Amino acid sequence: MYYRYFLPAIIYLLLTANPLWAQQQTVTGNVRDTDHHPVPGATVTVVNTTIGTVTDAEGRFSLQAPPNARLSISFTGFKTQQLHTATLKGPAQITLQEDLSRLDEIVVTGLATNVKRRNLANTVVTVSGKDLSGTAPAQTLDAALSGKVPGAYINANTGAPGGGISVKLRGVTSVYGATQPLYVVDGVFIDNSAISSGLTAVTKAVKDPGVITSNQDNPSNRIADIRPEDIENIEILKGASAAAIYGSRASAGVIIITTRKGRAGKTQLSLSQDLGFNKATRLLGTREFTADRAAALSKDPVASAALRKQFLEAEAQGKIYDYEKEIYGNTGFTRNTGLSLSGGSEKTDFFISAAQKDESGIVKNTGYRHNSIRLNVNHRVNDDIKIGVSTNFINSSADRGISNNDNTGVSLGWALAYTPSFAELHPDEKGKYPDNPFSSSNPLQTVALMRNNESVNRVIIGGNAEATWQRSRISTTKLVARGGIDFYNLQTDVLFPGILQSQAVNKGTSVQGFTRNLNTNFILSLVNTLTPSSALSLTTSAGVTQETGDFNNAIDVATQVITGQSNISQAGALTASQSRFQFQNDGWFIQEEVLIANALSLNAGLRFDRSSNNGDAGKFYLYPKGGIAFNFTKAGVIREGFFEDVKWRAAYGQATNVPAYGSKFTSLGIANIAGLPGSLVNPQQGQPGIQPERQTEFETGIDLVLLHGRLGVQVTWYNKNIYDFLMLSSPPASTGFASAWKNAGNLRNQGIELGLNARPVDTRVVTWNTGINLWLNRSEVTRLTTPAVPQGAFGYLGGTFQIEQGKSATQILGLTPTGIGRFGDAEPEFQVSSTNEVTVARNLSIRFLLHWKKGGQNINFTRLTADLGGTTKDYDEVAPGNKLPNGPNRLSKLGKTSEEFIEDADYFKIREIGVYYTFDKFRPKLIRSLTLGLSLNNYFTITPYSSYDPEVSNFGTGFSGGVELVPYPAAKRARFHLSVNF
Amino acid sequence: MKTLFYLNLLLLMLSLAVGLNSCQRNFGDLNNPTVEKYLENASQQQLNNLVNGTVSGARNSIDLYLDVTGVIGREIYRFADPRYTTELLGADDNELLNSNFYITLNWAARYRVVKNTNVLIAAATRSTLISDAQRKGYLGFAKTFQAHELLLNLNLTYKNGIRADVSDPDKPGPVLDYAKSLAAIAALLDQGKTDLEGAVLAFPLSPGFNGFQDAAGLIQFNRALAARVAVYREDWPSAKAALEASFLDLEGDLYRGISHVYGTGTGDQLNGAFTPPQQNGDVRLAHPSYATGIEAGDDRITKTNIRNIAASLNGLSGNRDVWVYTSGTAPVYLVRNEELILLYAEVNIRTQHFTEAVRALDRIRTAHRLRPYSGLEEEEPLIDELLQQRRYSLFFEGHRWIDVRRYRRLQQLPLDRPADNVWEQLPLPVSETVAL
Repeated sequence: MYYRYFLPAIIYLLLTANPLWAQQQTVTGNVRDTDHHPVPGATVTVVNTTIGTVTDAEGRFSLQAPPNARLSISFTGFKTQQLHTATLKGPAQITLQEDLSRLDEIVVTGLATNVKRRNLANTVVTVSGKDLSGTAPAQTLDAALSGKVPGAYINANTGAPGGGISVKLRGVTSVYGATQPLYVVDGVFIDNSAISSGLTAVTKAVKDPGVITSNQDNPSNRIADIRPEDIENIEILKGASAAAIYGSRASAGVIIITTRKGRAGKTQLSLSQDLGFNKATRLLGTREFTADRAAALSKDPVASAALRKQFLEAEAQGKIYDYEKEIYGNTGFTRNTGLSLSGGSEKTDFFISAAQKDESGIVKNTGYRHNSIRLNVNHRVNDDIKIGVSTNFINSSADRGISNNDNTGVSLGWALAYTPSFAELHPDEKGKYPDNPFSSSNPLQTVALMRNNESVNRVIIGGNAEATWQRSRISTTKLVARGGIDFYNLQTDVLFPGILQSQAVNKGTSVQGFTRNLNTNFILSLVNTLTPSSALSLTTSAGVTQETGDFNNAIDVATQVITGQSNISQAGALTASQSRFQFQNDGWFIQEEVLIANALSLNAGLRFDRSSNNGDAGKFYLYPKGGIAFNFTKAGVIREGFFEDVKWRAAYGQATNVPAYGSKFTSLGIANIAGLPGSLVNPQQGQPGIQPERQTEFETGIDLVLLHGRLGVQVTWYNKNIYDFLMLSSPPASTGFASAWKNAGNLRNQGIELGLNARPVDTRVVTWNTGINLWLNRSEVTRLTTPAVPQGAFGYLGGTFQIEQGKSATQILGLTPTGIGRFGDAEPEFQVSSTNEVTVARNLSIRFLLHWKKGGQNINFTRLTADLGGTTKDYDEVAPGNKLPNGPNRLSKLGKTSEEFIEDADYFKIREIGVYYTFDKFRPKLIRSLTLGLSLNNYFTITPYSSYDPEVSNFGTGFSGGVELVPYPAAKRARFHLSVNF
Repeated sequence: MKTLFYLNLLLLMLSLAVGLNSCQRNFGDLNNPTVEKYLENASQQQLNNLVNGTVSGARNSIDLYLDVTGVIGREIYRFADPRYTTELLGADDNELLNSNFYITLNWAARYRVVKNTNVLIAAATRSTLISDAQRKGYLGFAKTFQAHELLLNLNLTYKNGIRADVSDPDKPGPVLDYAKSLAAIAALLDQGKTDLEGAVLAFPLSPGFNGFQDAAGLIQFNRALAARVAVYREDWPSAKAALEASFLDLEGDLYRGISHVYGTGTGDQLNGAFTPPQQNGDVRLAHPSYATGIEAGDDRITKTNIRNIAASLNGLSGNRDVWVYTSGTAPVYLVRNEELILLYAEVNIRTQHFTEAVRALDRIRTAHRLRPYSGLEEEEPLIDELLQQRRYSLFFEGHRWIDVRRYRRLQQLPLDRPADNVWEQLPLPVSETVAL
């Protein structure tokens, strides 16, 4: 356990060094762009010091610098410039050049270090705040990332208000471990749980008694709480080679979010208001009935005759309805109001925002409301010490309706599938809804009377402190401390009153869930930058990290609820359940980064990690990383000219995924009878020696910048191996266990990412910036120590995933006439996306985002459900070459082949289109600028997929995405935008 | 020099944090007791929890067991999951799948209870906090229940067999054929009986055991099960002996027996086999042959309820709701006197004691308002009569399919659609078929 003394030893060694303090002089200047417009907010720093300032609204700055200092002037989107104060005569006049290739962008390389993109050994994707929400804002942050991250497979689980998105970076990285990346907001590791409301108490999607929650309860994930409009930029570390230094939770990648900061100068007030609407992207339509078709719904002669009569009567009275349209065809109105105030002095800056978003869903009584208040403050105590705090309070509420798998006929899509158009479901004049004779629920009644709400109160506070502890001409040592807390209370409220047809047995169900979650983390590190000459720079960092989590969730299921009540104490029967977990991860790291002649950059790091979730909680695991980047142009190997910048890079790293909490225990659940307490062995066998799964990733690539920055090309190949991946294996059920935790095998992901950014048009009047990305991933299970058994979905009948040695991890198997066969793969063949911005006469901006997903199959049970109910729109059509109409034809294959249920889920989407016009010449200058805009989100989709949207997942964000069973349909969004800056 | 003061303060905090970081945390299981703890030295309270967990857990998926045996045995239709009306009825050329719920859920639910009884056996054997007589009580109870659970699974998989020895989850015993499986179950019941002799029960049991709450009572329960197993094995002398040691009472209440009881208390369960009458969508219907095959005047027609509107699905239709379990808290019997009387009749028919057999059959017939048996007192017609009485007396209690299979009459069950067929057995679940 020598690491325990390691850091204190470094601290001691550094204590003996002696800080130098120098004389100061005042430097002033003026920063403009090539059009001679002032650049406010540009950062001006004295190289190798923490001395710095930002330009004011007129682009002016003033700071105290030592004599003979070098100044560095940088601003996002512009190339960094340097100048020597010694050469200055009077105020500095600086003209910044636009940085089309973004080579001067500062990118994170460690927990407390960063480097210019020009010298970066990894691919790190940066998504700016403008890219994120500047075109056609999505409802939530995770949805806003769709199509913007090469290497990511982002999939919306549901169209239900409040989100629910799966983000997988470079393939599936785990089967039963976390597949979702770690999110870090301003240094705080934030929670992205999807917490079930216990809806399965109503839907019985999972039938096992004693099971209170299921992964089919369609919860949102908590990253949706972060407001996209507050984000300055997002950096995405896609795999272990970049993320190793984040250690035990980084194997699925890390998404680092930096929120907006204030700038010194005049206080700025911004006001923005969006108004718009949501509509279903697509409706499926319903079968057109005739008397014969109605009669054929039953084989029983009496029932059949009754159905014929019922149809004829309904037809005569004109009571033929389109219930799908009545339920999913509504227009949901939306508004989004934001107010922000930012500014500051040389010592202190601040950013305050307050916002409210209110969006109605396409199903009545569903919607999403989000309130957020943010305060970010940075303060410079003196030239050596900086502190910063970012705080965010969020209150959100989502009414998510009821959708997805169901075994009680209450899910809206389920009831619709079984209800023919001639049924009468509308309430009578007294407001009483008739029972639906075709299903166990009346969906109109369900929509009107049920409630399924998630509400959150959340506080995220991040703090950082940076102190220059030692400084000499060639060496600077900083102490960097970062950390924070993420705390929320989540309340889930499910109410199905007893009057509902579907509540005939339970006579009213109220499911009330309460969750309290606290995450904390800190990183303490020492960073030394040694610059013996201008051609050599060494950055050494070392430190300690800790993350803790404390989760407590209680769900009460009350049935036989007194009419009009939702309070769980007003009930005839009550079942309570509680789920808790805690974890603590500790880590140590040391990292060295070397930059030689601005051309060759090398880095290496080690991280030691342990976690209370591991079988041996005290054991440290070691994760190394290393990288190299060589810039041919900076090295002079290739002369600048046609090529502005040529870089080769390679990086390797390891990271882990800790086992789930509790996977080391074999526990007993509660099983009472007649008031006698009982213990029953849980069907999950623990593994006392469980280990973290380990990922190694190697990536290499070339970055080119040509034609004076007008064209940039990035090519990356990666190979990612996951060793000892965690799996809930399926032992023979006769052991009493349905599943057992195992470190079961190895998994490989390989992929290619191509990026192209260009400015094809660049005239005085029109500029067009475009970015095109193509990416693909292939996975293979390279070793499996447990037998291959179906994973997830609904068994071979309709198609299922199966982890099998030598096969793709996401393959889909199903029934064929000759046994079990392969039908597809959830993994897309490739994805292409293109972001574009056309600017006309500086003030008119047209932006659009195209996204093409080629290949990848879904398991679709929605059509089967409607076929079984006899209500599919094309039920009676006869496809060429078939004898039977489509409905009976598809049903006849049930149990023989799964081909009808595994469908291509390709799509081409115009995800975002936005048109904005900015007025910026106001007299008097009461208003600095006013922007008007119109945007469309998810408006156009081309897909061969038969159901609502190829983006769907009945099972939430886990491994088995792309399974569909009567989901909440996806929505398209249209918005009008107004924003004013004062 | 103020800066240095701040920095030293920071360093102090840093060192503190480093110190804090050094302590290792292990949070334990915050949600449940663990098996490991129960095996250390279980108290009487902990053992009792295992007993009641076993009794409670034995109800899991029992409704599914009744549905699966009822649907294949053409006692009922279940309109819910499409597989009830397709695969289970052998529709078209459908095969039964070893990954589907009708076998996987049932099988796992029963073996979970078996696991619990094995934990109970291990914990009671190791406990130093109970007397030997008390220990025998726990062991006898555990073995009797384990045998019952194994038998239910064997009823489903029949010639595909079961694993009888699963005490070590890492090395489960082999899958035995039908005869050996039955023999293993019979042996387990005999061991349980031996344990119960001279045992003292240190545990309370649910009201489903009322009248059988002591060692003598559990022996009667054990022997009732042993009688059923012996009849399945066609071991008539053993069956006769077991019946004599059971609670068989030709004149007694037909519903005296051991049952799963249900309640709305915390952590308790409701009877999933109950369907409210006149439901739409999710329904259990009596197979139309139930009403057509019943003798006039038989009061067992009340085990079904006429519907206002017939329910139909996939070419199946019925106008009677099943009405065996008439509320969410109605009990489901593990074994009851009516079955024992019928077992007694069967033993007598097969051992050619026809008069005694008819006496037992008439006890059933008259109890259900039928005239005494008037057919030939010969083996074959008496077996016909026995199967008819078993069909109506034990309707939707999980017997019909097993009975017609025992007498190789599966082909006599009615087929509703031309392409349907009757399954003899369910496949072993997929998890059992892959090599370890």
